Amino acid sequence: MPIDITMPRLSDTMEQGTIIKWHVTEGQDVSAGDVLADVETDKATMEMQSFDDGRIASLSVAEGEPVDIGTVVAVLLEEDESDDAVADTPASQPPPVPPAETPTPPAVVEAPASGASSPRGSHLKATPVARRLAEEHGVDLQSLQGSGPGGRIVKRDVLAAVGAGQETRAAVPPSARGEVVDLARTDTPSLPATPVQAAPMTLTGDDRREPVSSMRQTIARRLVQSKQEIPHYQVSMAFAMDELSALRKQLNGDLADQDIKLSINDLLVRACALAMHQNPLMNASWDGDAIVYHERVHIGVAVALPEERGGGLVVPVIRDANFKSLRAISTETRALAEKARTRGLSVEEMEGATFTISNLGMFGVDNFTAIINPPNSAILAVGATLEKPVVRDGELAVGLEMNATLSNDHRVIDGATAARWLGTFRSLIEHPSSILV
Amino acid sequence: MTREIHFRDALREAMSDEMRRDERVFLIGEEVAEYDGAYKVSKGMLEEFGPRRIIDTPISETGFAGLGIGAAMMGLRPIVEFMSWSFSLVCADQILNNAPKMLYMSGGQFGCPIVFRGNDGAGGQLGSTHSWCVESLYANVPGMKIIIPSNPYDAKGLLTSAIQADDPVFCLESERMLSMAGDVPEESYTIPIGKAHIVRPGTDCTIVSFGRAVHFCMEAVETLAKEGIDCEVIDGRSIKPLDIDTIVASVRKTNRCVVVDQSWSFASVGSEVAAEVHRMCFDDLDNHVYRVHSDDVPAPYAWNLEQEMLPNAHKICQAVRGVTYTA
Amino acid sequence: MTTTTMPKTDQVTTPSTAQTPLPDADTLRKWLRDMMLIREFEVRSMQAYQNKLAGGFLHVYNGQEAVAVGCIGALRPDDPVITAYRDHGHALARGMDPKVGMAELFGRIGGCAKGKGGSMHFFDAEHHMYGGHGIVGAQAPLGAGLAFATKYRDEVMGSSKNNHVTLCFMGDGAINQGAVHEAMNLAAVLSLPVIFIVENNFYAMGTAIDRSTAAAGHICDRAAGYEMESAVVDGMDVLEVYRGMKPLVDYCRETSKPVFVDMRCYRFKGHSMSDPRKYRTHDEEAKWELEDPIERLAAHLQGAGGVTAEDTKAMAKTVRQEIRAAVDWAKQSPEPPIEELYHDVYVDRWGPYTGTSVPSFMQRRSSDREQTNDA
Repeated sequence: MPIDITMPRLSDTMEQGTIIKWHVTEGQDVSAGDVLADVETDKATMEMQSFDDGRIASLSVAEGEPVDIGTVVAVLLEEDESDDAVADTPASQPPPVPPAETPTPPAVVEAPASGASSPRGSHLKATPVARRLAEEHGVDLQSLQGSGPGGRIVKRDVLAAVGAGQETRAAVPPSARGEVVDLARTDTPSLPATPVQAAPMTLTGDDRREPVSSMRQTIARRLVQSKQEIPHYQVSMAFAMDELSALRKQLNGDLADQDIKLSINDLLVRACALAMHQNPLMNASWDGDAIVYHERVHIGVAVALPEERGGGLVVPVIRDANFKSLRAISTETRALAEKARTRGLSVEEMEGATFTISNLGMFGVDNFTAIINPPNSAILAVGATLEKPVVRDGELAVGLEMNATLSNDHRVIDGATAARWLGTFRSLIEHPSSILV
Repeated sequence: MTREIHFRDALREAMSDEMRRDERVFLIGEEVAEYDGAYKVSKGMLEEFGPRRIIDTPISETGFAGLGIGAAMMGLRPIVEFMSWSFSLVCADQILNNAPKMLYMSGGQFGCPIVFRGNDGAGGQLGSTHSWCVESLYANVPGMKIIIPSNPYDAKGLLTSAIQADDPVFCLESERMLSMAGDVPEESYTIPIGKAHIVRPGTDCTIVSFGRAVHFCMEAVETLAKEGIDCEVIDGRSIKPLDIDTIVASVRKTNRCVVVDQSWSFASVGSEVAAEVHRMCFDDLDNHVYRVHSDDVPAPYAWNLEQEMLPNAHKICQAVRGVTYTA
Repeated sequence: MTTTTMPKTDQVTTPSTAQTPLPDADTLRKWLRDMMLIREFEVRSMQAYQNKLAGGFLHVYNGQEAVAVGCIGALRPDDPVITAYRDHGHALARGMDPKVGMAELFGRIGGCAKGKGGSMHFFDAEHHMYGGHGIVGAQAPLGAGLAFATKYRDEVMGSSKNNHVTLCFMGDGAINQGAVHEAMNLAAVLSLPVIFIVENNFYAMGTAIDRSTAAAGHICDRAAGYEMESAVVDGMDVLEVYRGMKPLVDYCRETSKPVFVDMRCYRFKGHSMSDPRKYRTHDEEAKWELEDPIERLAAHLQGAGGVTAEDTKAMAKTVRQEIRAAVDWAKQSPEPPIEELYHDVYVDRWGPYTGTSVPSFMQRRSSDREQTNDA
């Protein structure tokens, strides 16, 4: 193979070279190490040497002509090669370049300075953390007077505007920032500010998260408020129900042709209304710095809504229940419950209760406590009427018995008051003829 | 079992423990053997380990530093003591060109598991040539680690880690701290290189410091606490690698940062910390990072001038007040 | 041996042939082949440099082949060797595969240092070659350290008595460096088995030795200052090199004392590839080229019988093919992957990088919380 002699790189900074003088002619034999030419580089005039033995077949660059490194300046024939070999080879080959097996790495680009995404007033001076806090709390930086050097708005200026006293407390810790954003994105009801926050809930793939109705939101809000604000306490009592059940049975039998069917609950509502009437201290509400005593007795009756319609609980109100007959109470309760389950109740139909009764007896619940329905001061939780071994006149017998628990707002109702009310209530139930009057 | 010992004793325990454990470890340097160490750090070691492992050298830092590097290339684990890091400048080529680059330029064939250690920083009226803080100068070089213990406990744990390390480690001690006493366990233990230590938690300002200057910071925070400024003090423990994560986490909490670095300010450890905090905590900052350094002059001899030149509690207090807008 | 520029010098002190028998003929043939291999490697290195396949600085060893081959020939295979930046010859004489060396010059992953060392940093742990070092004289303390370590392992670590001898090469330019004197003093004080070999080619880059060095003709006097044995050896004849070095190596091994050698030789090429050699005459070069160590050994072998001119020519051809293959292999070797940039800085593969030290393509993996605008 003929050997291309190329313009060598003769210094570390050389890009081009000029052959000042050829020391060989075409057809001349040369040995490795022989000086072929003097080359002027950017640094000096250097000798260009042959690396191989052979005969100069051609010189392709004239003296004085600058050429790039790698340009073929002469062709050398090795031993036993003829001039014909030259014709077989391209006269000029590009200089060898290193193979590039590995792709060029991406250029290292420094990330642009942060904050470029939020345009800023050019003349407004505020520290980065002040800007961040202002954004988080919706504070307009333009409205603030900076206390830092040259009027720079600093962290404390924003915190003062937010109204936080303790700046270290008001600063949202970095770990909490994400959670705040997440909450804002959901459609969860905005619960009243509460000092206790639930632990963050982790949803798994099996869990289903379903937004709730506004009614459920209201229930949630009111019950949370009640449970957190009202100092609840409970008093319970067992009631012999033999006579009340017998009376109900008798009345329903008598009134069957008038399409009247009294429930135990109707009788209990009536008994509650009468007990309230007889214990007016119970018919009251807490009002911050006073207690309001209600003249009229309005009994709320908790009604469960069918689950297929979203479930929930409404409390229609039987107004002036102490003045209503059993028949009226029964009819009205039934109508309101029916309306609640089908069309929904109006606000008026659910407003103004002074006492509430919640009955889970039909579900077989023996005993439970209920959360007071503000602005009531008490609620009665009624269990099922069951056959139980009872002691009657010193002897063991089988009797019908019901448990009921009264939850009370201790700000309004003292224990003795509640106990007295329960006594009245028992007296009415166990001697039920009085509720007919 | 923990008891109170001096900083120099803690250093010696680390070296002696490792020499008992690993016969590849030896100590070489000026006056380390028969003189018991210029600062008595190696006191008694000649007696225990003999002259083949505790080796006195001529005053010839290039020679013995390079000798140590050659021995490390062959797998030994030399501890090279510089009487002062100020004297290491005469062998900068060995410790900066050879030790940290050997592994790289040999394509991973020859490592350099060596420890260079000695006094760094002002010793007290030693003048311009003997008062070097080399940390900023040397931290610029890749391939080695730099530890800078601030108390006897850290000294023993960090130096033990350094001797066990497979990379070259520079251990910067302070003549002014050698007689400092502190609780140190009798048994051998290591403190990881590259993990900072939060000496004092606080909410208003992060103070980052290294080595002896940590004590100036602790002095300052007492004063500042009385003014109602609650500082968090971070002892970097290592300069290289720098535990920037711990620093950043702290600054994101406090929103302010002061770096206290006993070397000169230009292109320094302090400027590196400041640059990193500005880069990584940009939106958390309530002020730019304040820096406390030695003044940009050669170390003077006169006591009052030297005190004025060095970082001190007063300068740190001023910086913290500035960064918290309470000046 | 001829020099036109030298002042009056110490005479070569090579012991007589009778005292140091030469190795067998096969070994001598191998030395011839090794020297040819080094020469051909250097010639093709220069060509590759001129063709831009190799970069940086290139310092070739043409003319000094007998020094590396003869000195290393006097060693045991596991004795440590360390030298300066004109290091290709020593690495090849120590046994480095030429293709690995060529790939290093080309900056390829197949190189002895994965393309991260270059011409000046030929390291080969397998062959006890402790590098190629770039700073003049800086390898001298390292050489003392290698010798220290071999002795320490013998004496402290209770391994068998290996009694290694370390060869520490340097150029004549190095003898005015403090590091060399510190290393020599330490070697003498600590009694270290190291031989400091000054490859005295009379030029420190472009400065003739008498212009740079006091008492330039008597550099062994410097060894005398450390009470160190020394010798002047003809470095242009591999047989003389061997005869000179073998007793010194034996002495060093037996006594664990350092030795200093003024090894007279000549650099046929310039200091580096951009050296026009204006500081010396063509006549001087021509005279030294008559001393070509390869031709001298070839002539000896032909004179002593057993090796014909054809044998020598065939050997040259084989060597040429081997180096061509090395060049081809090196060209095929890939460039180092970019990750390699970050490896071997620390023993931990990815290093203890923090902050801005973290490689850019690793930033996302770091605990870094940079606010960026990118999608």
